[in-house]
Amino acid sequence: MTNNNSGSKNEEEVGSYFLEVARGAHKKKEEMEMEEVMEDEESPTELNTINSSGGFLVVSTDKMSVKYTSVNLHGHDVGVVQANKPAPVKRLVYYFEIYVKDSGAKGQIAIGFTTDNFKMRRQPGWEPHSCGYHGDDGLLYRGQGKGETFGPTYTANDTVGAGINYASHEFFFTKNGRVVGTVYNDVKGSLFPTIAVHSQNEEVHVNFGQKPFAFDLEDFEKRERMKQQTTVEKISLPPNVGHGIVRSYLLHYGYEETLNSFDMASKTTVPPVHIAQENGFDEQDIMYALNERKTLRQLIKNGEIDAALGKLHDWYPQIVQDDKSATCFLLHCQKFIELVRVGSLEEAVKYGRIQLAKFFGLAGFEDFVQDCVALLAYEQPQESSLGYLLEDSQREVVADAVNAMILSMNPNLKDSHGCLQSCLERLLRQLTACCLERRSLNGDQGEAFYLHRVLNIGYGILYRDSLALQ
Amino acid sequence: MNKLVMNFLVTEGYVDAAEKFRLESGTEPDIDLATITDRMAVKKAVQSGNVEDAIEKVNDLNPEILDTNPQLFFHLQQQRLIELIRNGKVEEALEFAQEELAPRGEENQSFLEELEKTVALLAFEDVSNCPVGELLDISQRLKTASEVNAAILTSQSHEKDPKLPSLLKMLIWAQNQLDEKAAYPRINDLSTAKLEDPAV
Repeated sequence: MTNNNSGSKNEEEVGSYFLEVARGAHKKKEEMEMEEVMEDEESPTELNTINSSGGFLVVSTDKMSVKYTSVNLHGHDVGVVQANKPAPVKRLVYYFEIYVKDSGAKGQIAIGFTTDNFKMRRQPGWEPHSCGYHGDDGLLYRGQGKGETFGPTYTANDTVGAGINYASHEFFFTKNGRVVGTVYNDVKGSLFPTIAVHSQNEEVHVNFGQKPFAFDLEDFEKRERMKQQTTVEKISLPPNVGHGIVRSYLLHYGYEETLNSFDMASKTTVPPVHIAQENGFDEQDIMYALNERKTLRQLIKNGEIDAALGKLHDWYPQIVQDDKSATCFLLHCQKFIELVRVGSLEEAVKYGRIQLAKFFGLAGFEDFVQDCVALLAYEQPQESSLGYLLEDSQREVVADAVNAMILSMNPNLKDSHGCLQSCLERLLRQLTACCLERRSLNGDQGEAFYLHRVLNIGYGILYRDSLALQ
Repeated sequence: MNKLVMNFLVTEGYVDAAEKFRLESGTEPDIDLATITDRMAVKKAVQSGNVEDAIEKVNDLNPEILDTNPQLFFHLQQQRLIELIRNGKVEEALEFAQEELAPRGEENQSFLEELEKTVALLAFEDVSNCPVGELLDISQRLKTASEVNAAILTSQSHEKDPKLPSLLKMLIWAQNQLDEKAAYPRINDLSTAKLEDPAV
């Protein structure tokens, strides 16, 4: 008897899990879109005239170029100007360019990145927490007094670029479209694109991406992604692990016929695919009642809810004995939805009064039952905001709930959590969790991971959002 | 999730299972299932040593595949030569090597090296014990077969590998990366997907 008790607790858990899934189904899409909007960070668009070292330089009225107008006398009269916004971080690479219009008296031009509280009369790179590539000596400065040998010098008519590679944690600089060098980025905090001029008549135009870059940024990003893709592809997997996971997915969800075909074909391929059959207790757990689960899934998938309820009464009366359980609720709602689908509105109303009315006022059930009933208000419910209820995916949720309930009936069940999701889903959830965690440990730098995108788009772009997380 | 499974079945060529899965789960495959049958027929032909047959089938499918992929074509011809040698047809093999393969070798240094390696098979009485004996191994057939398979998939603008293994690799990679920074419940066995608490 004690066994029974623990069983019913488990059932409750399974039921409420799928109720949550059903309730969350329509929100998912919106949330995903929201998420993506939030990823749209502001990027620099122009030079910041308020925080620039006024007096030494003049920023043009379009805020896209600077000119040093005084005569420089010492190291503390540098004309520095930052962009109006820090470089966005939630991407693979940030990059901007300058064009040297006039190298002035000494060509002491610099490009780089500085933090918010940077001293606006010093070259980027001369102060801590900054980094700059200087035109007159081609050296790279990053906070120490001395510059490091880095790239060529640059002067009038050169286009020079500075970028942050969030995947490799590096700054990189370009001259006339070619990378001249990279250097480790150890600066914490927001980084502002920064340019400096330091001798009379030096004039520099900046391009924050409004105009095409001299440097092929897209190609650079593509290569970066490829690099990571190659690293990942080099990882070796245990043989046939994919087959095993697909097989357990088919077992878990009761796709019996697919499973049989799959097993048949696996045996006849050259070389035959051996899937470890003895891969332990999980297999036993999800083998349970395969045929019954298959039958019920097919019924629900075809909208034959009455038949499914009937079978459940015969095979698993425990599941349907409590008419107020989450599983029964989902089945009743689905029956109601099916009636609406075929236009039997009167019958739907009647059914609703008998089976659904009792769920009004019950926390956890109420919003969903309201959505279902509200279908009646629309002439074309498919087109309404509740149209999601009429989608196949809704049937699938119900089928999954029943499937999980039956799995949890297994008297030899070893892992009760295993009922809820297949091995495949657990793996993908872990993948998403790891990627998100990793990114947040990196101060949210780099591209975000969207599993749904990875699943929907083809090869090549597959890695784009996920691998660039470093 | 169903899509991911369908993608696996389709790409790996489980045509019957894919069809059943379409019916059972209502998931539409991202490619015409009939083309899988053709693709698998080519693959099987190579795997069982009928290279000529395979070449013909590929050309029936889409003549551009071999036209635009000289390396693949060379490897198929090389496989054909290997099969001739395997069957002891020495004269035929020599003739074939000289007429079909040598001209291609002239165009491309790496082809030439491979050709020489293959022809070297003829120099040994007991091929099972010679340094290039691996060419006669079944794995060489499988290698060629999967190359053709990939080329056909690409020509159908379908990815040549299923997504699932890549995702699994990505998971391993992400976990490895995370290991350096944090302790967290980890999945160590992909086939059970059990979360294991970090060792303290």
